[in-house]
Amino acid sequence: MENKLLINLIPGDTFLHRLTGKTKVRTFIVLLIYLIMSFDLRLILPLFILGIIGLKSLKPAWKTLKYFFIIIVAVNLLNIVLFWLADPDIGAYWCGGGHTVLFKLTDRFYLTAETLWYLMVRFIKMITSFMVSVVFILSITPSELAAGLYSIKVPYKICTIFSLAFRYIPDIGRDFQNIKVSLQTRGVELDPKKASLKDRLKQNVLILIPLIISSFDRVANISNAMDLRGYGRGKTRTYYSEHEELKADKAFKVIYVALLLFCAYWIITHNTMPQDFRMWYPFA
Amino acid sequence: MKKSFLKTLLGVWNTKTVVAIAIGAALFGVLMNFGGIPIYTNTRLTTAMIVPVIVGSMFGPVPAFITCFVGNTIADLIGGWGFWFDWSVGNGVLGFIVGLLPFYGARINEGIFKPVHAVIYAITCIVGNALAFGVVTPLMTVAFYGGELTITFLQAFAGGIANTAVLVIIGIPILYALARRSAHSTNLKMEEEKE
Repeated sequence: MENKLLINLIPGDTFLHRLTGKTKVRTFIVLLIYLIMSFDLRLILPLFILGIIGLKSLKPAWKTLKYFFIIIVAVNLLNIVLFWLADPDIGAYWCGGGHTVLFKLTDRFYLTAETLWYLMVRFIKMITSFMVSVVFILSITPSELAAGLYSIKVPYKICTIFSLAFRYIPDIGRDFQNIKVSLQTRGVELDPKKASLKDRLKQNVLILIPLIISSFDRVANISNAMDLRGYGRGKTRTYYSEHEELKADKAFKVIYVALLLFCAYWIITHNTMPQDFRMWYPFA
Repeated sequence: MKKSFLKTLLGVWNTKTVVAIAIGAALFGVLMNFGGIPIYTNTRLTTAMIVPVIVGSMFGPVPAFITCFVGNTIADLIGGWGFWFDWSVGNGVLGFIVGLLPFYGARINEGIFKPVHAVIYAITCIVGNALAFGVVTPLMTVAFYGGELTITFLQAFAGGIANTAVLVIIGIPILYALARRSAHSTNLKMEEEKE
């Protein structure tokens, strides 16, 4: 599964791909604030729809993405079930104290309408946030990420850390496969049909040790190559991947500034002041 | 020839450190997603915790902090469970505390790691987890997300125990191995480092 990671190294040619790294990173950060600040379905749903449109416009490899989406939906479903198990009455806290019991399993485990609403909103919020990150990951290259972060005054060594880490993720996948194959040639059974699940899990943990060691062994190579190209000489840095702003970038600038102002307004009026309801609940 | 306090704390910010942090962060991010067993909501018994041990022992606490912070952000980015920067900070603090190794004399780069250091290391791991996930993460949760404290505490409890287990059970043998690997240079003197 690790060879299906979605990192782009070459910029694509759709509308979102052509934006500058600066616009992508700034829009993404504003959208993150927007998503984190509230549990209001009226705010999350439009972004959810925009996320689907954005994803479609990128023309991604759906086959790979489908696999990812199945995992994410499964993990989040498991999460909300665990949330419900931890506190079946969690909805009362969020939706203003109501207990509309829908059905009762035992005295401890019952399902209220408020809890159901809270868990549903939470689920949509998580899927939306995944969608926003997928659109971001698919539309950006590691150097554009560094350039974008540099444009919001992050020190360039930290930018390099982000872009290198991003760039290195597919390599980890490749190394994992290589180590796995070489273990198999030495007779370690990793075939799902022949080894039991427990054995395979144990073998997969054994792969991690050489994976970590070989990754850190590569540090010297990469840093020498960077030193030879004069990395870290200057106090500032410019990025080759960053091009001039297009019309679309200017339009996006208006959007993200407006959205940021809206977020500031929302946080001041909703998140710092006490509320009757912690989230919008239409049936209260 | 003793390095100054600040220098040990910050680490030497040359290209090698930058690359090591980046690779550590990538590994941390990937292992958080694929190298763990879920034990509670959004909490895993994860092998990712080995990474700050390695980065911390070789480069110091602040690089370990950044590794964990960036790594957790990347894990959130590809993980699809939403963005939880309170946890990024919490993991960062844990990385910082794990990376304090040189301050109690465990100089892995020079091959020094004695049983007494292992004991101190185990204690720091426990204290570090308690501090990072019992104090720092809930504080950040209130600051960023305003609430959800019950969940955070439950997650922190589960995550803290899992992390301590990984840090102690896998971490100590790794530290011994790393120390042995660089032990051959113990009788050599390091020349003044050029930056």
